[in-house]
Amino acid sequence: MLDVASLLIYGAAVSAISFFAILLMMPAAIRSLASKGRAVPDAHKRDKPMIPRPAGPVIMAGIAAAEIVLYMLTMNIAVLAVLLSTAIAFAVGYVDDSRVMPGLFKPVALLAAAVPIVVLDLFVGGVHGDSLNLVFGSVFIPLLYIPLIFVIIPIAGNTINSIDVLNGVASGFIIIATIPLLTSIAIFGSDEVFLAALPLLFAALAFYRYHRFPSRIFPGDSGTLLLGTLYGALAIAGSSEIIGVIALLPAVMNSFLFLASVKRIVEHRQVKARPTILTDDFKLAASTDRAAPATLVRLIVVDGPLGEKEVGYRIFKLAGFTALLAFASIAIQYFVLGLG
Amino acid sequence: MGLDGLVLFIAGMWAMILAVAAFLVIFVAPLEAVLPAGRLAVSAGQAAIAIVAVVMLVLGLSRMKEIFLHRKLGQ
Repeated sequence: MLDVASLLIYGAAVSAISFFAILLMMPAAIRSLASKGRAVPDAHKRDKPMIPRPAGPVIMAGIAAAEIVLYMLTMNIAVLAVLLSTAIAFAVGYVDDSRVMPGLFKPVALLAAAVPIVVLDLFVGGVHGDSLNLVFGSVFIPLLYIPLIFVIIPIAGNTINSIDVLNGVASGFIIIATIPLLTSIAIFGSDEVFLAALPLLFAALAFYRYHRFPSRIFPGDSGTLLLGTLYGALAIAGSSEIIGVIALLPAVMNSFLFLASVKRIVEHRQVKARPTILTDDFKLAASTDRAAPATLVRLIVVDGPLGEKEVGYRIFKLAGFTALLAFASIAIQYFVLGLG
Repeated sequence: MGLDGLVLFIAGMWAMILAVAAFLVIFVAPLEAVLPAGRLAVSAGQAAIAIVAVVMLVLGLSRMKEIFLHRKLGQ
């Protein structure tokens, strides 16, 4: 347990490091990627401008710098586990950014990102609790908890990856979902994991400046997988697994609808029938093709075509709604556990 | 043209997740104090019940999804 002064100083330090590192390094990264021709077309814009990709290395650098400083200040093993998991997810994403990999690559390779959490807890201890925090109380099922970690990490990473479909959505969504997660970790988790969660929020805030509509850079798989995996690792280490899932519900719903539609794990680019079509005035409209997968964006535009920016705001409204549900769940847990 | 349907769908998902969480806390967690078997056997039984509960949750969500998509997309 840290004293208030340490919490404030360490919190300010890691927040500032992650925020300013990304804010200041990103323009150079945009120029460098553009000069090397590492850019992809922005499919929803007139003339399809080429947008540099990936921003993952810069996001990873900012988060790693903050988490390394935090680890050196606290020597807390959970901080190290979270950092290593995030770095592995970044590496998996970077491979996927560099070459075309099969659909199963990301979910299978992300299993490796769960290893530091499990192994460091096994040999050192103190990474995660023994019980699953289920809002109405905790359940101690050791046989279930370790396999669950290997489920949560790939799902969290791939869920954020799958919602990265429009300008600014992945980074904006992470900002909104991280606020209830931070609150939950502050109440039910440890001070050190709370501090380790601050770089996620501030990295996403800094990145959103460049990723928001109209995007100047895309995160790539390396960016989205590291953000999603960091979110999942923090939920596990911060005893906030269910709260974390609730705050992510629109993205979880998007993955669930897509998987239920195509009935197998594939990359979006492999699906021939597109869920949405682009109208002549560059608005998104729901596909009428019965073979097209159901996705969150398709459901949002089913009542009529909308511009990309408007669809993004509607996703943020849904994220805001689930953040409120997550806060309601935190309140239930707070009073059920008799903390109030 | 709003988000009402999606908001209701997400609220339904939230309610179902909380219902499964409550079931696990109220009925599955106390099994270790009730059952006479060893710690490992009880944990295996709890894990099996929890997995069945989560499978039921996914099936319930899948049914809810079918109704929702039928109304929204006619699929």
